[in-house]
Amino acid sequence: MITLVNYGLGNIQAFANIYKRLNIPSEIATTPEMLKRAEKIILPGVGAFDWAMKRLNESGLRESLEERVLVDKVPVIGICVGMQMMANRSEEGKLDGLGWIEGDVKRFDESSFTQKTHLPHMGWNDVEPKEGEGLFRNLQVDARFYFLHSYYFATRHPQHVLSTTDYNGRYASSVRRDNIFGVQFHPEKSHQWGIQLLKNFAEM
Amino acid sequence: MLRQENRLARGNLISWMDKREYQICTNCVMDTSDSKITFDGNGVCDHCNGYYRDILPKWHTDERGKLALESIIEKIKREGKGKDFDCIMGVSGGIDSSYLAYVVKEQFGLRPLVFHVDAGWNSQIAVNNIEKLVDGLNLDLFTDVINWEEMKDLQLAFFKSGVPHIDVPQDHSFFASMYKFAAKYKVNYILTGANYSTECVRNPMEWMYYQSDATQLKDIHRQFGQRPLKTYSLTNILWHKIYLPYIKGIKVIKPLDYVPYHKEEAMQLLVDRFGWQRYPQKHFESRFTKFYEAYWLPKRFGYDTRKVQYSSLILTGQMTREEALGKLSKPAYDPEEIAHEFEYIATKLGISVEELQGYMDAPKKTYKDYKSQESIYLAGAKMMRLLGLERGGKR
Amino acid sequence: MLRPRIIPCLLVHNGGLVKTQKFTNPKYVGDPINAVKIFNEKEVDELIVVDIDATVLGKEPNYTLIKHLATECRMPLCYGGGVRSVEQIDKIISLGVEKVALSAAVVETPELITLAAEVVGGQSVVAVLDVKKRRLGGRYEVMTHNATKKTGLNPVDLAKKAEDLGAGEVVINSIDQDGAMNGYDFDLIQKVRESISLPLTVLGGAGSLQDIESLISRFGIVGAAAGSLFVFKGVYRAVLINYPNRSEKDALIKGNL
Repeated sequence: MITLVNYGLGNIQAFANIYKRLNIPSEIATTPEMLKRAEKIILPGVGAFDWAMKRLNESGLRESLEERVLVDKVPVIGICVGMQMMANRSEEGKLDGLGWIEGDVKRFDESSFTQKTHLPHMGWNDVEPKEGEGLFRNLQVDARFYFLHSYYFATRHPQHVLSTTDYNGRYASSVRRDNIFGVQFHPEKSHQWGIQLLKNFAEM
Repeated sequence: MLRQENRLARGNLISWMDKREYQICTNCVMDTSDSKITFDGNGVCDHCNGYYRDILPKWHTDERGKLALESIIEKIKREGKGKDFDCIMGVSGGIDSSYLAYVVKEQFGLRPLVFHVDAGWNSQIAVNNIEKLVDGLNLDLFTDVINWEEMKDLQLAFFKSGVPHIDVPQDHSFFASMYKFAAKYKVNYILTGANYSTECVRNPMEWMYYQSDATQLKDIHRQFGQRPLKTYSLTNILWHKIYLPYIKGIKVIKPLDYVPYHKEEAMQLLVDRFGWQRYPQKHFESRFTKFYEAYWLPKRFGYDTRKVQYSSLILTGQMTREEALGKLSKPAYDPEEIAHEFEYIATKLGISVEELQGYMDAPKKTYKDYKSQESIYLAGAKMMRLLGLERGGKR
Repeated sequence: MLRPRIIPCLLVHNGGLVKTQKFTNPKYVGDPINAVKIFNEKEVDELIVVDIDATVLGKEPNYTLIKHLATECRMPLCYGGGVRSVEQIDKIISLGVEKVALSAAVVETPELITLAAEVVGGQSVVAVLDVKKRRLGGRYEVMTHNATKKTGLNPVDLAKKAEDLGAGEVVINSIDQDGAMNGYDFDLIQKVRESISLPLTVLGGAGSLQDIESLISRFGIVGAAAGSLFVFKGVYRAVLINYPNRSEKDALIKGNL
């Protein structure tokens, strides 16, 4: 059972549709009780950092979420801003992040950009995973995903970087610390590659 | 009042026949789910015997067939000289019409206009296959897009009527559009991919009533439709079987009956030559037809059209009876996928899954419960056979 | 490496898909849901769907249709048509749409861009500018309401303004080239490209994959949107949904970036 955290942001329905199509059970969690029995969690997210943190803080779900993730070590994957929220803080906002993976979220440095178009980083880009197994099983070669963001996660520790992507320099397109995963791209909108990744998450 | 009672009585007669003891042909795989089937002393059914008696003796795909087709083709070319195209060819993206395109363009040098009717249910594979053929064979394409709101309403009307043949709205429009186009632009020849090789056994009328019967279509639309048919093309049997060919000189040709047509080899050729994509299931050119044949007919009525298809292939030596029985032992639909497909059908028709299920469970009706031109068809078919103009045919 | 996006653009009129020429003469193309399903199966990069009736008739967006379309998309979907308020934008995004396109609002109520960006994030707010070349003087002018209302505004100025107000993307739609299938308007694109650093998508005029290739070759990372190209085939403009497959797409990009 995949639990999708509904705190008001992110394309929850897209995830539900994909899992439905894969015949993998999923549920949309709106209460702490539902989170308490979650076995695998997806934390979606889109939009600005502070807005997302505020919604999460006010949703009443944060406590159960953190208990499940940090204490019970249930696998969790943050999507886009959902991943960025796992950092300590973000240059985009003033609020504190969840601090689950050490690091800061920074804005891409446009001064080094060579092409006319700068931010947001928008479109299909390649992802090079560090690990062959787990989340990126069958995605070692030719994996491409849809990105839509202007800020990236600069991890404090290099070993937390799970995959890199090149956008005027390589940066972490996904991160991992133990049971905690985060992807900067949108697997729910990345056709077969995204479906494969979401399937991998369910089967890990 | 009396007519209504008569209809009910005939309906009951058909369901009484369902209670007949089960029997399957010893030669093909047609069985008593075709309630009108008869068997001879060897347990061989009338579909098989009809094929051996009426079709096989006159069906030539050797030199005789080639010569006969060449002579027709010469005529088509002659009459089409100076025109942008010399004939139109109905193409769905399926194997028959795809192979037809290859044969007539590449082997016989015709200049057909590819005629495709988009009824709103095209699968990606169908669209891709049409594109590959048009590009690979350098053909011109014309698409007649049926107004979706009208098609949707008509399809829902058929669901509500309770009859088995709910694919009539699509089928009828495919042919009506082609006839109308041919008549309008004075195109003398319509080519179709219909063929004995994979279709010598026809679906029983009880399973699939005549799609061209406009009287039935109009009666069902009148009773259950909610919007007028303004742009939907209608044909009728007298118009396209008598008026068009004998008065206007517009003929329908089935080239695949004159050449060797082995389905598996044909598919491989198209795959290799043009990047044609195979379908995971039969009739997957149209998502609706797939639902209709793989789920609606077998699940609701017990009519498994694979029996008809496999029997044809058995008779023409492309499948063994054992193979057919093996395939028939599995359901016609994929149990893992069917819920998703069911939902798509419902969503696209603008109804809920519950409503669609309601139609699956509603009381069963037959074509006899609505007005029809059945008597004209029966009389016409008899006459055609007497005159030697047609072999086989529906029953 | 970030790839240029190749984006089919579909127009909805009276609930059905249509294709126009110079923003008039809508030709019926068929059912939106099946078309979107086919594009999804063809793994298109992104999809734009515009309801061309909503603004002109003052109607609400068709939320039911939007939801059904979003359900079929495993790629980002951008919706435009009749969008006037933050509530509508929020609602559309919540139905599973990634981006919302504003057109008349960019001209009439530009502050909506900023307000929307605060709620759904700038990356989800797209400014669509329909642009026509003035007959006298050859300058470009932005129009609204299906090219029936003049604004007297220059697309470059408006694009810059949209960027300053917080939009995430600008779409330049050439009215003159709409349905013409004989190439994009490079002059127009050049002018706007030089003035903003936001992702730029261009629409209007693509008649072949070569046109897209030329566009990428000239402008690099850009969104190449097209309507007629992906919906029609051949001399009779027969409706047949088509889109380059992965190797054809890679070939367009390779050596052109």
